[in-house]
Amino acid sequence: MNDLPRRITMREWDDRYADLRARGLREADYGGPLRRHVDDGDDRRLLCLQLDNSPAALRLWNFLLTEEDRLGQAESQGKKLVGTMKDLGTVPVMAYALPNLVAFYPDGAWWLPCLMEDRTNLLAIADSLGIDESFCPVRAMLGAFVTRAHFPIPGMLTCSVGATCDDFSAIAQRLSGMGHDVLWWEMPHRRPPEPGEPSVALPGGFVAPASQVEFVRRELQRVGEALAAYAGRPLTDDMLAVGICRANCFRRELGQLRQLVFAAPAAPLPALEMLIAEMLAVHFCSDQDEALEVVRSLRAEAADRVAKGVGVLSPRAVRVYWVNPVADLRAMNLLEDLGGRVCGSEYLFCHAIEPIPEDLEPLEALARAALADPMVGSPADRAQRIAREIAVIGAEALVISRIPGASHCAWEGSIIGAVVRQRCGIPVLEIEVPPITDSIEPSLRTRLEALLETAQENRG
Amino acid sequence: MSRASMICAGIDAGSRAIKVVLWDPARMLVLAAGAVDQGVAQESLALELLDRLLARGGIRRNDIGAVVATGYGRKLIQLADRAVTEITCQAWGVRQRSPGVRTIIDIGGQDSKVLRLAADGSIDDFVMNDRCAAGSGRFLEVLADRLAVALPALGQLAQASRKPALISSMCVVFAETEIVGLLASGIAPADIVAGVQTSVARRIAAMVGQHPPAPIMLTGGVAMIPGMNSALAAALGAEVAVAPDPQFTGALGAAVLASHRLDGRNTPAL
Repeated sequence: MNDLPRRITMREWDDRYADLRARGLREADYGGPLRRHVDDGDDRRLLCLQLDNSPAALRLWNFLLTEEDRLGQAESQGKKLVGTMKDLGTVPVMAYALPNLVAFYPDGAWWLPCLMEDRTNLLAIADSLGIDESFCPVRAMLGAFVTRAHFPIPGMLTCSVGATCDDFSAIAQRLSGMGHDVLWWEMPHRRPPEPGEPSVALPGGFVAPASQVEFVRRELQRVGEALAAYAGRPLTDDMLAVGICRANCFRRELGQLRQLVFAAPAAPLPALEMLIAEMLAVHFCSDQDEALEVVRSLRAEAADRVAKGVGVLSPRAVRVYWVNPVADLRAMNLLEDLGGRVCGSEYLFCHAIEPIPEDLEPLEALARAALADPMVGSPADRAQRIAREIAVIGAEALVISRIPGASHCAWEGSIIGAVVRQRCGIPVLEIEVPPITDSIEPSLRTRLEALLETAQENRG
Repeated sequence: MSRASMICAGIDAGSRAIKVVLWDPARMLVLAAGAVDQGVAQESLALELLDRLLARGGIRRNDIGAVVATGYGRKLIQLADRAVTEITCQAWGVRQRSPGVRTIIDIGGQDSKVLRLAADGSIDDFVMNDRCAAGSGRFLEVLADRLAVALPALGQLAQASRKPALISSMCVVFAETEIVGLLASGIAPADIVAGVQTSVARRIAAMVGQHPPAPIMLTGGVAMIPGMNSALAAALGAEVAVAPDPQFTGALGAAVLASHRLDGRNTPAL
């Protein structure tokens, strides 16, 4: 069996898996052939995807696709589940500081219509509840709460509202109206400090007024008290400090993985696996320790490939910076099929990748991290951050992937595009990626292909 | 026939029509160009058109040294040695016939594009309309159908307008409803056509953005409708020239790229 890195189909993974097993592959308890997720779980989209052929990628996919089992096991072991909605990386850190809580991210259901090729009926259920396609596809979460088929209903739900995302607020309010108690906590719109106003530096190079940080700190304190009451034990500063430290272990590991993969002459891992790995930063896929091990495996694989000078894509691949996650995972494959590679990304939760300050009072540190959310500030702030990163990375083109129905995407893309064009002078493409791209694949292909042709021509 | 004297073909399998250009790279000359309506069997339609053009010029298939396909159906043209996107081909087509152009507005049947070119004719950047036909030829087709007027006659009709109707909708489907309403209100068809042209032009102007580098050139099938460039010029506040044979610019660019392939030139898209 050829061990050279490459992207393979699920059918090719059947043989690959058998071979790896024959050669003594050792797996975690959630391991097994990827095919079972199609046969048992009906995740049919996997059959259309090109997946990395490494054992580390196998572990990543198996970890991602067994989250439901893991949540069920946690419950049966007496642990309590917390659904942490729309905060992208802050409340899970607090929840995991309490040993008997398991946090998960119900918003992750937004990929179910894609993975199950719309057989879930989740979007139709959301439609019937008045949350139609004029909302972000994360509305699939509403359907998942109704069917109770994709995750256990948690005993506690938190949701950040305010400046985070008005689509999500509407969806979560509908959920609340259906009888699910939600602990709301508010995130203000991050504004620049006024002249002379005390200000605070945030992770990611942002700045906010100290009063806003204090406001968020108080909100998080309220959330912490609720988590402690739910867990039936106190949540002390020391526990939070340990929780932050553990989260940072993951974030640093992920940061090193991104640095390694994005800077390598030939991409050692595909964009799809990198997207999934980055998503783990939001909620650890319901197991913080294992999430760290999964990312460590990926980094070891990437490091090995870089050392050997091999990759999954040509070293001539066009270096593309990608903004926003895609509702249909095939889009990431498509870019690579056409001769591109992702060399940098901002999937709307870059604040979940930045280490949380460890030299501050824990709630203050968490408040600063939460306020660094790219969605709660101005699009211009976000654009400047992206432009800075593009300049450092040396990307040759930018893809801004709009999420259909997501209200922030309607105007943010043009601002980011304008700033990047002006500051970096690279071609920019805005695309819209719905949960199922099949019918628009030709036009998506043309746009991406044209972007890559343009970037190649600009190489001179 | 020696390699140096071979001709090249560009096939633009667009959403509404297939266009073929036969190009003599040695003499830098278009030998023949033709178009047929698009259909289900794209490749056979393209081949029939190609053979017709070859027969008309007394050229054999073997005399073709290289073929590049472009357009929506480019991947379906098996005869082609290479498929290149219509964005790149439009740029090469304009570069060939009208060097120095810095902004291309291409309005096709199903989509519209704006290309910004560098001084050397290479593409700096481009934008395309996205999942909406409001700024495309489809809008004008819907209008022509509704008014029972041939598409090419729309321009002439618009010239008779005294007061272009205000079309408020940015969506073809809703705009059609508006058109029905305007007709029912007794608004003259000429004013409706002029109003729709203005609406398309404004939509395109929004894609172009402010201060597009001049000269600006209009390509694509919609460019053949008289008055479209004037409507665009008014919306942009800048002069807009219509490309020579605007429907064939993409196919010409494809033929030019085919000649690069024949020469072994290191053109990135190839």
